[in-house]
Amino acid sequence: MENYTKYKLKSNDELTALLADKDNLFVIACNKCFKEFETIDEPDCAEFEKIAAECGKTITGSAKVDFLCNKTQTTKKLQDMIPEGTENVIVISCGLGVQTVADLKRAEMPVYAAANSLNYTGHHGMALTKKSCDACAQCYLNITGGICPIVDCSKSLVNGQCGGAKNGKCEVDSNKDCAWEKINKKLEKQGRLEEFLAQPVQVRDYSKVNFKVINDYVKAIRADRFEGYYGGIHPSENKELAEHVDMVRFPDPETVVIPLSMHAGAPANAIVAVGDEVKVGQKIGEAGGFISSPVHSSVSGTVTAIEVHKHATRGECLSVVIKSDGKNTLHESVKPNKDLDSLTPEEIIDIVREAGIVGMGGAGFPTFVKLKPAKPVDTILLNGCECEPYLTADHKVLLAYADEVIFGLKAMIKTVGAEKGIIVIEDNKPDAIELMEAKVADIDNIEVFVAKTKYPQGAEKMLIKNVMKRQVPSGGLPADVGCVVANISTTKAVSDAIQTGMPLIERVVSVTGEKIKNPGNFIVKIGTNTKDLIDYCGGVTDDDVMYKAGGPMMGFVLPDTNVPIMKGSNGIIAIEPQVSTPVECIKCGRCMDVCPMELTPLYFAKLADAEDWMGMKEKNVMDCLECRCCESICSSKIPLVSKIKAGKAAIRGMK
Amino acid sequence: MLITEMKSKETLYSLISGKVFIINCHGCKEVHFPEKDAVEFQKELAAEGKVTGIMTTDYICNPENMKLRLEKHMSEIEAADMVLVFSCGVGVQTIAEYLEDKKVCAACDTYPLPGFQGVTPLEYDCKQCGECYLNITGGICPITACSKSLVNGQCGGSKNGKCEVDSEMECGWERIYRRLAQLGRLDVLKCPVQVRNYATDDEVSKS
Repeated sequence: MENYTKYKLKSNDELTALLADKDNLFVIACNKCFKEFETIDEPDCAEFEKIAAECGKTITGSAKVDFLCNKTQTTKKLQDMIPEGTENVIVISCGLGVQTVADLKRAEMPVYAAANSLNYTGHHGMALTKKSCDACAQCYLNITGGICPIVDCSKSLVNGQCGGAKNGKCEVDSNKDCAWEKINKKLEKQGRLEEFLAQPVQVRDYSKVNFKVINDYVKAIRADRFEGYYGGIHPSENKELAEHVDMVRFPDPETVVIPLSMHAGAPANAIVAVGDEVKVGQKIGEAGGFISSPVHSSVSGTVTAIEVHKHATRGECLSVVIKSDGKNTLHESVKPNKDLDSLTPEEIIDIVREAGIVGMGGAGFPTFVKLKPAKPVDTILLNGCECEPYLTADHKVLLAYADEVIFGLKAMIKTVGAEKGIIVIEDNKPDAIELMEAKVADIDNIEVFVAKTKYPQGAEKMLIKNVMKRQVPSGGLPADVGCVVANISTTKAVSDAIQTGMPLIERVVSVTGEKIKNPGNFIVKIGTNTKDLIDYCGGVTDDDVMYKAGGPMMGFVLPDTNVPIMKGSNGIIAIEPQVSTPVECIKCGRCMDVCPMELTPLYFAKLADAEDWMGMKEKNVMDCLECRCCESICSSKIPLVSKIKAGKAAIRGMK
Repeated sequence: MLITEMKSKETLYSLISGKVFIINCHGCKEVHFPEKDAVEFQKELAAEGKVTGIMTTDYICNPENMKLRLEKHMSEIEAADMVLVFSCGVGVQTIAEYLEDKKVCAACDTYPLPGFQGVTPLEYDCKQCGECYLNITGGICPITACSKSLVNGQCGGSKNGKCEVDSEMECGWERIYRRLAQLGRLDVLKCPVQVRNYATDDEVSKS
């Protein structure tokens, strides 16, 4: 692989001259970008320190910083880095790193460059290639057969050769092929010479690239990058596939397969036997521990088997199979509770626990545990972001069950003794925002927060940072900063459990993706077969398809669609699979740029390969949300999340 | 990482002859990609029956992945008279070289972005001049902060602190002067006259 190092140390003479009147130096070296990532550290200070020592200078300290040009992170790292007694800062990096540090330290001390940026023409691609682009803002490739006259011609001529080429070589640089001869040959081969010759004379407009245009771009891009919280990405939303399709009830299944584990923690224990008659809402599995949840029948009928069945997220799981009698007879336990004012927080917690309510965004954490926070909570955040592309289930719930959602929120506010509730909705759902704002207008302690769409907005920590401007500590929980975050569907389920007494036996599922013939949103009974849902939508357009339970970012790949819909199944998507071959990390730093937890995924890849689990732990891998921003932006297509998961599993195993 | 902006629809229609295969590169989408415009235009084109296939991928500048991902679209590419690429200039060139016999066209213009291709965009820019001047300028780059890339002080043409070439831009040398004054380092301006060497590192290493 090419070495795309951006800088080299200035000459010994120049550095000696630079240091002549300076002493007490602090040295900062950038762990430089775009270099083959053979080693984790690239000790760059040594050579400079040697020269400084020869000049008899005192070095107060040195530091290696990743990507000095990442201003957000560099600002944090520079705090308290430079010791007392330092008079000058020496930066070994490209011009960007030096300028960043010089700007940050401008009021304190002078900052000097110890290196020159290497000089080459044009910008290469993100993934490194020999092709360059000078970003002239008026692409000429269409008339030149895809060979760039700006970078490939020494003179950047745009109307044909200068006439100075000798034997096909450039007169400016005899090692270089004449670009216009190459263009001529290519156009001739493609039979496009006439097309070129018929072109009017090209006049390059040098004013297209001006300060205002570029500066406006940079401002807009940076505003997007830092909106609400650091990092994140803007994947194609693809919500239009299902967001305007009306939600309908999915026809009752003949048989349901209800897994005893649809939640974080211990699986439930079956309390029915084969042959038993069960009714809708009847408890069929008892919580298997404190962090666990009961499960209920979604149909009335007969238990035909209790057996291991395929499971969307765990491979397989013991499940209760029930043949429906088609009558949907309600179980006698399903009856409305007292009104909200008469219920005590303890009673609400009991109702929520007994109703088997768990986080319906996918993680499946038992909701009653969240409602008993160990620390005082002042705010409940309702996560109506649905930041995963494609999915529209929560959006539909907000529109169809606004009153239930607000009731559920009120119940949770009461339970934890919070001051207020905030419903957070991304700005790509204007109809939901409008509706909820109207609904809460007269409620004192509930408000709507409109968040600018960015993934992973719905992650608890991002949501809290954006809405509350509070930072959940490393390894901490939302309650540590006085918050509880709940999902929209979960909140609706809380309302149902209180108002009708119905436990969590059905949910809204989006079945969507560009490969699904007729995408839609359905109210589906837990235990319904995923394949039936897909078939109901007309199946898929062709065989080249990848199914996922959940969204494209954090969803689980489904090798087999013969799995039941569960409490956390917010969507089933059928999308085009992307094939990739991972190549060496080139340290482009984009994973660090997008990591919302401000971690360093590029190191995780290297450390996981070396099985250096402690190294990963020191770099806070346990804080990783597995949101896949890094993997999605990786130009080398490294499966970062699976490496991170391996590291986390190993670290958990060490305890 | 560069900024891509879609060419005007008129320009694009003038390029199109026959059937088209479309490639979208989302690799640098976080920087800028005219996604809405592109989707809208491509839908329009598909409605006219001119599209043999659309592929949305990332980092077509990474040839291994580009080839791998193009593979399953080869019949669609063969059925097309031309390939229209929505990417920066590097992406278009990479495709054009790989699909040697196909007419490959750029649907976008590419704008430069301050900062390199890594973790930027940044408010600072570096033109890779190869002889860093930041030591005599208080850490503000005269090559990129001055429209004329002057290395020995201001031209004298600025008005009210704004550049005479681009009135949106602050005069780089006034900024440098203020920075040096702040640092109490105005004395460094008494350095000898700087002469810029325009040779590239390639040329230097060869001479």
